Amino acid sequence: MEKSVDELEKDQRELIHVLHDVQEEFGYIPAQAISQISKQLKISESEIFGVLTFYKAFSLKPRGEHLITICVGTACHVRGAPMILDEFERKLGIKAGETSEDNQFTLETVNCVGACALGPIAIADGEYHGQLKTRKVDKIIDKLMSTKRNGSD
Amino acid sequence: MVKIHIDKKPIDVEEGTTVLKAAETAGISIPHLCYHDAFPPEGSCRMCLVEIEGLPKLELACSTQVRDGMKVFTKSEKVVEARKGVLEFLLAEHPLDCPICDKAGDCKLQDYYDEYGLFESQFRESKEKREKKDKIGKSLIHDEERCILCRRCVRFLREITETQELGVFERGIHSRVNIYDLTPVDNNYSGNLAQICPVGAITDEDFRFKTRSWFLKKGESICPLCSRGCSITIEYHPGFSHFGVPSRVYRIQSRENQEVNGFWICDMGRYGYSYLSENRLDKIVINNKEWNIQPTWEDVSYFINQQLKKLDEGKKTSQTVLILNTWLSNEELFLIHKIFKNDQNLERIFFADRPQAEKDDFLLTAERTPNKKGALEMGFDMKPANPGALSDKTDLLLAFGSFLAEQISAADLKKALEKIETKVLFTSHENELNSLFDIVLPTALIPEKGGSLTNIDGKIQKFSPVFEPPGDSLPEWMMLADLGRKFGINSSFYGEFKTPETIAKEIENEVPFFREQK
Ligand code: SF4
Ligand code: SF4
Ligand code: FES
Ligand code: FES
Repeated sequence: MEKSVDELEKDQRELIHVLHDVQEEFGYIPAQAISQISKQLKISESEIFGVLTFYKAFSLKPRGEHLITICVGTACHVRGAPMILDEFERKLGIKAGETSEDNQFTLETVNCVGACALGPIAIADGEYHGQLKTRKVDKIIDKLMSTKRNGSD
Repeated sequence: MVKIHIDKKPIDVEEGTTVLKAAETAGISIPHLCYHDAFPPEGSCRMCLVEIEGLPKLELACSTQVRDGMKVFTKSEKVVEARKGVLEFLLAEHPLDCPICDKAGDCKLQDYYDEYGLFESQFRESKEKREKKDKIGKSLIHDEERCILCRRCVRFLREITETQELGVFERGIHSRVNIYDLTPVDNNYSGNLAQICPVGAITDEDFRFKTRSWFLKKGESICPLCSRGCSITIEYHPGFSHFGVPSRVYRIQSRENQEVNGFWICDMGRYGYSYLSENRLDKIVINNKEWNIQPTWEDVSYFINQQLKKLDEGKKTSQTVLILNTWLSNEELFLIHKIFKNDQNLERIFFADRPQAEKDDFLLTAERTPNKKGALEMGFDMKPANPGALSDKTDLLLAFGSFLAEQISAADLKKALEKIETKVLFTSHENELNSLFDIVLPTALIPEKGGSLTNIDGKIQKFSPVFEPPGDSLPEWMMLADLGRKFGINSSFYGEFKTPETIAKEIENEVPFFREQK
């Protein structure tokens, strides 16, 4: 963490890059990172927190080994995204925005990923699954369990 | 200078003026929520839309600058329609809990709905539930449901105090103003937030649920708690005199004064108003057994006159001690100077004031002497009162204020005063000190009288009475003018002083500083 913050110039416009780097390295933005960035870039913690909660790309809690993102944008919504989300929640035993206790899965939602024609959509570790049906949910989870991934996104 | 028309009214304004400010100069008010004179325009609320001839879309009055020949319409059909739309969106997620909201009555959103909205709600969806009672600072409660995200509060903390405790977090419908990591808003200017929030999203615990704003009367005054002399508005309930319910101050707000305090006041000045009503002295107190009547001011002034006359000429100047303070107005200090220094030749005049205390880098000064500059310009050398100076062969002591008790220990004071034959105190409050004096006269505080104070930068600031002093209290200037008449050295001169203004005129005649300031 020391490094990723230190490496960057003290240019306030770099804030988003710095946050990306921290997210990349730790899988989330730890609180110490916020106060350190604040000191280094001379941006208040409240402002940094504003920026990082604005973008879905950043997360405040450590994410699990595998990240599943369900699109709940308008198009996916009318095509049944809520049912897909329900199914994931039931199977994984966590709610949207949570990480499973064994740190294997994080479930998140997003509003539109720009592929509405393929809705409803889930993205599992970067892989897009379009025209999803509830009965395919099991398969997606199984597949994730059988793969190891380094880092998270 | 450019020539523009607003609602067909021709006006000349400086180049670079915004449409909103230009309209203001012509007496046309354009509704606005996020814009505040203290900050550059932000253009986020959309409340200030106006039509400009030749432009296809409505423009923001708060951030559009005037151009020569511009024709602006603030009440056209398009504008009225758009305003309604903006209000409808602002209210879509608004809880409409005006009946239990402290801002009701002073709320811009409420006022604008009344003036420009009045539509039926088309929303059938239920509103989002959010945090309604979030303690974000010493005395501040934030209601996320009422917040319209104008960011005035965020900008205040960023630009004025530079403490930056608040930020806007998350986005879209989830956007909310909050503190980060439970670090509360904690600076000496936090109370200004409740005042600049245009809606009831930030309310003040000191005021919450105590009264409704429409029951309160407002009066302009000056804060005497430090040497800055910020302009304030005192909001008070006038009481019910029929039933013996006295007036009561509910809050103090800042009042714009670009030469002194801008738009702001410190928290000490805002919240420190209890002294206006607590422990007030409202009757003349007699601690001398020789008096067996409850005297009036007439009796006491006669008595003081007699006491002075009793001392023979040679002794008078050296055996009478006067203790003053800088809560006395320019007018009062002037009268004292005239009567006691010029007419009576008194030499032993001292000051007892509040001691210096912590200052900040903005308005609050270390000196807590609201009229020190005035006293110096009036010609007082402001020697501090000390026990030795008090008791040394003194026969008559006239003291103003109770700050002596903050300067000299109770035991020392008692010892010093015991030796003095006649002691008269003019004071506004009940205080342990009072029992050491033979006669204690109740006096008025700044909002209860007229006059002026000279602040740390030499600015002479006039103030007028907001409400009546309690009981038998009198403004010092009145008692002093009366003493001047009674002492008889120049009765007709003092006879002229029926108001603080007449005294102020005479000050200008006699004291160069006050003439030049004018
Ligand atoms: S709390 Fe008040 S001042 Fe702050 S953004 Fe919300 S409405 Fe505006
Ligand atoms: S800065 Fe001084 S004068 Fe101004 S409000 Fe505070 S105490 Fe009163
Ligand atoms: S709504 Fe899901 S991809 Fe657009
Ligand atoms: S006042 Fe102009 S957009 Fe808010």
